Amino acid sequence: MPDARQIKKPKKKAAVKKEHKQDQAETLSKEKQKKLKELDAYIEGVLEEAGEDFLDQFKQIEGE
Amino acid sequence: MSIPKVVGIEQEYAIQLKGDPTLTAYEASCMLINAYARRIGLREPGMRLFWDYAHETPYEDIRGRLFRKSPTQQVVSDEDNLLINAGLPNGARLYTDHAHPEYSTAECRSARQAMACDKAGEIVLRKALLEMRVLCPEVGVTLYKNNSDHKGHSYGCHENYLMDAHAHENCIAKEAHATARVLIPFLVTRQVFAGAGKVGSEAPHSRHALYQVSQRADFMENLYGLETMYARPMINTRAEHHADAERFRRLHLILGDANMCEVAGFVKLGATQIVLQMMEAGFIPDDWSLKDPINALRHISVEFQAPVEMQNGRRLSAVQIQRLFLEKAEAFKDTAAAALIPDYEEILTRWAEVLNGLEQLKLSPDFDIQDDPGHLLGKLDWILKLWLLNRYRHARDGSWDHPLLPVLDLQYHRVDNQQGLFYKLQHDGLVTRLCAETEIEHFVNHAPDDTRAYFRSRCIQKYARQIFMLNWEIVGFDHGDIHRMVPLLNPLKGTREQFEALFAGADDSKALVSQLDGGTG
Repeated sequence: MPDARQIKKPKKKAAVKKEHKQDQAETLSKEKQKKLKELDAYIEGVLEEAGEDFLDQFKQIEGE
Repeated sequence: MSIPKVVGIEQEYAIQLKGDPTLTAYEASCMLINAYARRIGLREPGMRLFWDYAHETPYEDIRGRLFRKSPTQQVVSDEDNLLINAGLPNGARLYTDHAHPEYSTAECRSARQAMACDKAGEIVLRKALLEMRVLCPEVGVTLYKNNSDHKGHSYGCHENYLMDAHAHENCIAKEAHATARVLIPFLVTRQVFAGAGKVGSEAPHSRHALYQVSQRADFMENLYGLETMYARPMINTRAEHHADAERFRRLHLILGDANMCEVAGFVKLGATQIVLQMMEAGFIPDDWSLKDPINALRHISVEFQAPVEMQNGRRLSAVQIQRLFLEKAEAFKDTAAAALIPDYEEILTRWAEVLNGLEQLKLSPDFDIQDDPGHLLGKLDWILKLWLLNRYRHARDGSWDHPLLPVLDLQYHRVDNQQGLFYKLQHDGLVTRLCAETEIEHFVNHAPDDTRAYFRSRCIQKYARQIFMLNWEIVGFDHGDIHRMVPLLNPLKGTREQFEALFAGADDSKALVSQLDGGTG
């Protein structure tokens, strides 16, 4: 019996660790997703601020 | 003879105007420069600080009289001189070149300093912009640190490297084959880490390109030449050395892209310093000539992994050619000449890191980044921008024809903390930093300690009211009855170590010059 308990314990711990890691990965992934969504919104804002005719108006004189 | 590879960068910024249709880019650029000069106290009544054009010889060619152009020398009035120029207290020059605000960094001993000074230039331009918005709120001005307007117009990010006069004469000016064997293959292929990336094409030869590694490749037409605005060469042969030409020469490279990423800028400058040092020391007897360097430059920009043909018939990719240089540089590192290059080990490490990363990088035919185990996304501009563009286009129809992709490309380079996409990506932790922000900010107000820039910088900081003219190789003081010129013909002299005590003890420029007359300098 003691042996069985000893075997069971680490297994349980590993499972907990795995779950924890999974949770962390999910949280990280959620955080990353959130950041990427923020970035997408930021990009939209920048493009909107630049305006539809930005490229037409962006004309430079030849430099060196 | 091997000498330190002092380096400086000249960056022309794109300028975009809104609000006043009568205002030209030239006028706006001058307003910007003067807004900054005013902000830092260089436009007080009685101050002059003219830029001295006497040492500029754009029509003289290092290859000899046969190549010189017929000059139409323009005389710049005093009024225009001050409108166009500001010699800054950090040893740099901010000025209007044609219709672009241009920031020329102070002379730097190390690639790290030069990269940081170039980044400090972004801050200077941003401050100028903020100042101008206060002074002229009705004028909308934005600035971009890039090299093309996506309509076939280009502006430069030039590099200057100090060379020993004898070596320069032998390797660059008179023996073009020496350059062809070593320097040209290096310059053609370094774009794989130094390129800033660009959507599409601006030249017939790349018309099918969806995305290019380099912004300038479309505009390069020659290996050598005096031109800078058409028929552009990789190596500009202007005989204008800004130093004692008997001992020192300037290698003027005009093929490079503007870098936002610190790693890309650092490796570009550091690897070029090492290759030049090896050339000067005669350490590369090999012949790595490319069969057609200009076509190779364009080809690599469109397809960076494709092999290019060498003169000896071998076909190597740009990364493989860069490996040849890196291996030489590793063998060179314990020589006395290598010791002249600061941060040599770090340059090698970063150079190897990006080449390893490029070997492992997997792109789809449609330019999707499939695998980037070397994390180049945070190190190289062309890959970071590619990632950004891919993210945007895949959220739509996935096409490279989306009209906003070139807009996104340009917004990556915007020099404005609030809107510049590069800064946003950096802020979000996607970009690998080499410098602390404080290190960059230091160079907004201070020159590097270990070149003549220190002397120029301290003169402007302490005696601006007494300076009547200056340029890279001279500081001229107005002492009432007499003008005193202090020549700075040796870029390696005028350092903090040599002159800090002298400046501390000289309350005005008369005292400084008097001490110099006494033989202290």
